Amino acid sequence: MGDMANEIKLLTGNSHPSLAKSVADRLGIEIAKTMSLNYSNQETSVTVGESVRDEDVFILQSTAPNNINDGLMELLIMIHACRTASARRITAVIPNFPYARQDKKDKSRAPISAKLIANMLQTAGCNHVITMDLHASQIQGFFNVPVDNLYAEPSVLRWIRENYPDQDIVIVSPDAGGAKRATSIADRLDRGFALIHKERPRPNVVGRMVLVGDVKDKVAILVDDMADTCGTLAKAAQTVKENGAAEVVAIVTHGILSGDAVNIINNSCLSKVVVTNTVPLGDKQERCKKLNVIDVSPTIAEAIRRTHNGESVSFLFHHAPAV
Amino acid sequence: MVRNIVILGGNSHPKLVDSICNSLGLPKGDRILSSFSVGETRCEIKDSVRGKDVYIIQSGGGKVNDHFMDLCIMISACKTGSAKRVTAVLPLFPYSRQPDLPYNKTGAPLSKQPSTVPGSTYTFESVPATPAPGIAKSAGLTNGMDSLSKRLNRAQVSENNIHSPAVQASPAVNGVNGANGMNGGDSYFKPKRADSSLSLGSSRTPGAFTTHDYEKVNHFTSFQGKPGYKQWVAQAGTLVANLLSCSGADHVITLDLHDPQYQGFFDIPVDNLYGRPLLQRYVQQNIPNFRDAVVVSPDAGGAKRATAIADSLNMEFALIHKVKCPLSSNFLNPETRQERRPTKITDRQNATMMLVGDVANKVCVLVDDLADTSNTITRAAKLLKKEGATMVYALLTHGVLSGDAISRINASAIDKIIVTNSVPQEEHQKLCPKLEVLDVSPAFAEAIRRVHHGESISVLFQYD
Repeated sequence: MGDMANEIKLLTGNSHPSLAKSVADRLGIEIAKTMSLNYSNQETSVTVGESVRDEDVFILQSTAPNNINDGLMELLIMIHACRTASARRITAVIPNFPYARQDKKDKSRAPISAKLIANMLQTAGCNHVITMDLHASQIQGFFNVPVDNLYAEPSVLRWIRENYPDQDIVIVSPDAGGAKRATSIADRLDRGFALIHKERPRPNVVGRMVLVGDVKDKVAILVDDMADTCGTLAKAAQTVKENGAAEVVAIVTHGILSGDAVNIINNSCLSKVVVTNTVPLGDKQERCKKLNVIDVSPTIAEAIRRTHNGESVSFLFHHAPAV
Repeated sequence: MVRNIVILGGNSHPKLVDSICNSLGLPKGDRILSSFSVGETRCEIKDSVRGKDVYIIQSGGGKVNDHFMDLCIMISACKTGSAKRVTAVLPLFPYSRQPDLPYNKTGAPLSKQPSTVPGSTYTFESVPATPAPGIAKSAGLTNGMDSLSKRLNRAQVSENNIHSPAVQASPAVNGVNGANGMNGGDSYFKPKRADSSLSLGSSRTPGAFTTHDYEKVNHFTSFQGKPGYKQWVAQAGTLVANLLSCSGADHVITLDLHDPQYQGFFDIPVDNLYGRPLLQRYVQQNIPNFRDAVVVSPDAGGAKRATAIADSLNMEFALIHKVKCPLSSNFLNPETRQERRPTKITDRQNATMMLVGDVANKVCVLVDDLADTSNTITRAAKLLKKEGATMVYALLTHGVLSGDAISRINASAIDKIIVTNSVPQEEHQKLCPKLEVLDVSPAFAEAIRRVHHGESISVLFQYD
């Protein structure tokens, strides 16, 4: 049945080839033949080398730090190309949604960029979005098309169970906003929970921190959805350590690790930083021995398979597919 | 007095924004436009825009994708800030022309060997390496006026290196294949390359490609479409138009769109200004005996543009035409019975160029809308000199001049190249002594003033 139309076509840009490869392997398909390049005038060009007519197209594009806008334009052009090439349905698979933190008008005349990105994706011709651990799940409401927000939580739970089976652990949220995410993990592990309250004077700058809860002589696991410059994470780890934790581990879904993050982690009191592979890490694993990676490609691949076959995706909200 | 108007500028061309504001006699709107450490655009409009008529000026040069996203985010910020109307002013429209890659019949990209090794001797016969996929960059050409200019420039560059390290580290230089595209094997460019790679801490290594990413060379050379499927390059025109509208732009002002049909991609009004009056004025004022000169269009597509200038100035007109098929006896000149135009470039990818019209012993004025890699105009200039032209001017609206365009122009038969400042030209001017820049800011200022007051701007379209 290989030639029948409406099969899964997995396309990918240049942002995260290794994730695309493992998703494709998991699905047992080949990545569709497309190529994206920059012209010398720095405009992006996408070449399509295979038919997508009447196919079920999935375009996987993560965004690499410092190439966000390039990656985004690449994705938009690919979506648009598939639309003009008569694809039946186009699903954008964006493991880490760009501009997710600019999701509200927090100052006068500040843009709601996440909403703009949602509009742009739809304008380009996308019919469905699959993403993971949105910074604010309300971003789903910015879209008029279905958005499947997958969770890394099942994979994270498995990692904790495998690596800290017996220790006395406590789940710590580094800020009030992430309390829900952290309590959910604490509940499912049936362990304690603590919270750090912080003041943030300016973006990418961290203020004073106060710990609420007991971490004494325990393994403290900091849980967050993303680690960018890691200033927060390092300070939180410091705070937890000062409150008597035996060991401090951080688990974040999106390891953006921009700027000086690697050095900050190396010099922090964190014993491990666990990230998923939603964001390309480049050479950061070599530069930072504390970095551990959880592979979420099985979850993404399974979501693609289920979406294609019209099966429910909600199973994946609580269970991680076997690796 | 212009009231209720806010002029905002993007980061692509601050100088143009300043001079437009000067012409209008208005202060530039205050905004924060930078990026977060992850690379996402950070934007805040500091001045109130409620109920105002907002104009956002952003050109399409440099880091195109970043600038375009910046523009969309600014438009959206003004819209959510209750601006009455938002007008995007794009002196150079991004993605208005995507060069198509040449492919052979089986659909694979044509690759060709660098035709001649430039560097030692440059004659009109030697073909400057065309930057295209699979072709090594020119190592720079050394002869005559070029080597003089090189020496002059080298002095200037080393001076720059000493006095302004900030320029070298500026974000504009960041696009390695943009501003630094000319760092071939040329000794002249070496100081710059060494410096910029140092200051950027760049891990990117310049490869042998100009038209495409240095980083993705393997990606490109190993790419093959599915057998039996003719691969194609996605055209982003409609997409870019739709993205601007969806960000909230109510009106677009641009200059010399490559395709006039592009206006039809928009559902909002697009005012396409013309660079023609400027170019025409230059011809009248700066070319001695311009009535004896010949206006030449370097390709058939630009013929209309060139004839318009020729007609209104009462000048002769000639056209260069690219023939795909090999020359036959049809092209014999009836008077001399000799083959007329065999500037035969033996390579399959470069179609043979044919000149229609007479340029012998005349001054030629090449007219085109946009020069990117400047392959077309340098080849056209060569042909014209070969046909006996005494001097070749190149008049262009948009001088993108990416890749190694500048070094090719320096080495080419073009005597003078005139562009507008629709994209920043300061860097280009430092490197290219043949370059002259015309200022388009008055045209944009007048267009903005008229659009704001609801006056007709068709006056700006009449030049005679």
